[in-house]
Amino acid sequence: MKEFLMLIREDANYGEMSADEMQACIEKHYSWVETLKKNGRFKEAQPLEAGGAHIRGKQRIVSDGPFLEGKECVSGYYILLAESLEEAIEIAKGNPDLDWDRAVEVREIMPMED
Amino acid sequence: MDTSGQLAAHFFREHSGRMVASLARVYGMAHLDTILDAVQDTFETALTHWRYHGPPDHPRAWLSQVARNKLINALKRDARHSYADEAAAPLHALSTTDPDPALADEASTDSQIQLLVVCCRPALSERDRILLTLHILCGFGIPELANALQMNREAVKKALQRSKALLRQKPLTLGQQSLADVAPQLPTVCTILYLMFNEGYKSTRNSKGIDVDLCYEALRLTKLLHPVAPPEAEVDALLALMFFGVARFPARRAAYGDWIPLEEQERALWDRRLIAEGFHYLDQAQRRGHAGKYYLEALIASYHCAAPRFDATDWGAIHRLYRLLENMEPNSPLIRLNRLIAQSYALGPLPVVSELAAFKGDGSAGSAFLLAATKAHVYQRAGYTAQAHAAYEEALSLAQNPLDKQLIRKRMEASKSAATIR
Repeated sequence: MKEFLMLIREDANYGEMSADEMQACIEKHYSWVETLKKNGRFKEAQPLEAGGAHIRGKQRIVSDGPFLEGKECVSGYYILLAESLEEAIEIAKGNPDLDWDRAVEVREIMPMED
Repeated sequence: MDTSGQLAAHFFREHSGRMVASLARVYGMAHLDTILDAVQDTFETALTHWRYHGPPDHPRAWLSQVARNKLINALKRDARHSYADEAAAPLHALSTTDPDPALADEASTDSQIQLLVVCCRPALSERDRILLTLHILCGFGIPELANALQMNREAVKKALQRSKALLRQKPLTLGQQSLADVAPQLPTVCTILYLMFNEGYKSTRNSKGIDVDLCYEALRLTKLLHPVAPPEAEVDALLALMFFGVARFPARRAAYGDWIPLEEQERALWDRRLIAEGFHYLDQAQRRGHAGKYYLEALIASYHCAAPRFDATDWGAIHRLYRLLENMEPNSPLIRLNRLIAQSYALGPLPVVSELAAFKGDGSAGSAFLLAATKAHVYQRAGYTAQAHAAYEEALSLAQNPLDKQLIRKRMEASKSAATIR
């Protein structure tokens, strides 16, 4: 089984989602993750804080990341387990975030060379 | 919270009202906007975390605590910005660690009732009161409100701003009144909940599902009032009426979205459990012995619910009850129209034709449509095919939503084929 990093990209502003809609979003995720766990396809998942810093180059220039308001940025990640990239893509397509027009990115984590 | 990790249906929506009510009671109506923001913010935080980890073991406590912390931080921030506001923000109350008795459950029911009274203050128009109640006590967002009440979003936004400004101007001292003090205002609250329910009931003819929620929210809030309202608020009868209404929801819509009129509904789809609830409250209303408007309406609904088939309906009884209602509200075109319909089934269509023909509505588009549709149906049953056809055409031109149009077209087709057979 290979490991895949799935990044969730979204606009950190939830806009006009209502209480009911937010609850629906949580519930869909919950049951999706439960299914992944049951099928042995889930390793871990974490949300990321909206704040953070961007540090660049030899001079270590620190700036606010493009993490706030109105810009699409990485809001969390999953480590998925799958046999192939194709399977990982199929799993990722099931992520309910896509129903809210967010984007996900799936990358295989390179295994250590033995 | 059960172990399956699932939240109760509409948990966020219900808890939103509870939190706003409790926080407004402790920190004051003057901070209503800040409170609403803190609660919205709390749900967004929950969305961020629970999406990845599932709901916590005690979601209610989690939300209440987070909302309170967010509010306290916001109030502290505001207080730093303006000294003038300091009197309004009780800074001594701004501790995030004290246990908060006002957030306990019983207290939150009381706070919700008091907040309901505030939202239903007669200073606002009926529509504004419905909007405000749904927004503040039921967590309805602007798109949901626009959808449910068929308004555009900008209009909803403006109405809410206007109402909230008024609440800030004359903040009631929420929480300093006992429930006995607010009891005299509960009949007004009931009127608003009744209208909210009707609004939802009416618009279940639209294609969106939100309208059913309007009815359930009205029902939930009316239930809160049940233990405390005075007899003249007719809460039992109102609850009976609402239960009889929601019991028939499953039969009102066909699988393909058409609206199905009473006479064609599959009665096996009516929810017997909800009808039983209706009879339970009707019984209580009878014991209280206050025969007001809601009681008469609930009785009428009970006759419909008790009839095994449309043609087994006790139209004589329903006709008499509409007569009583009409005496109580002589200026309501809707009641008079309903009386005429009942009469046409009780005594035959011919005796009501002339009264119907002379009937002028109140000029509103909705009542003009109902009038034309009723005329058409009664004329058709009386065998006045040409007049029926003209009335159907009129109804079609007045229909405001596609499902009404569809129903009229269906009836027109049926009347044409009936005419050909004859």
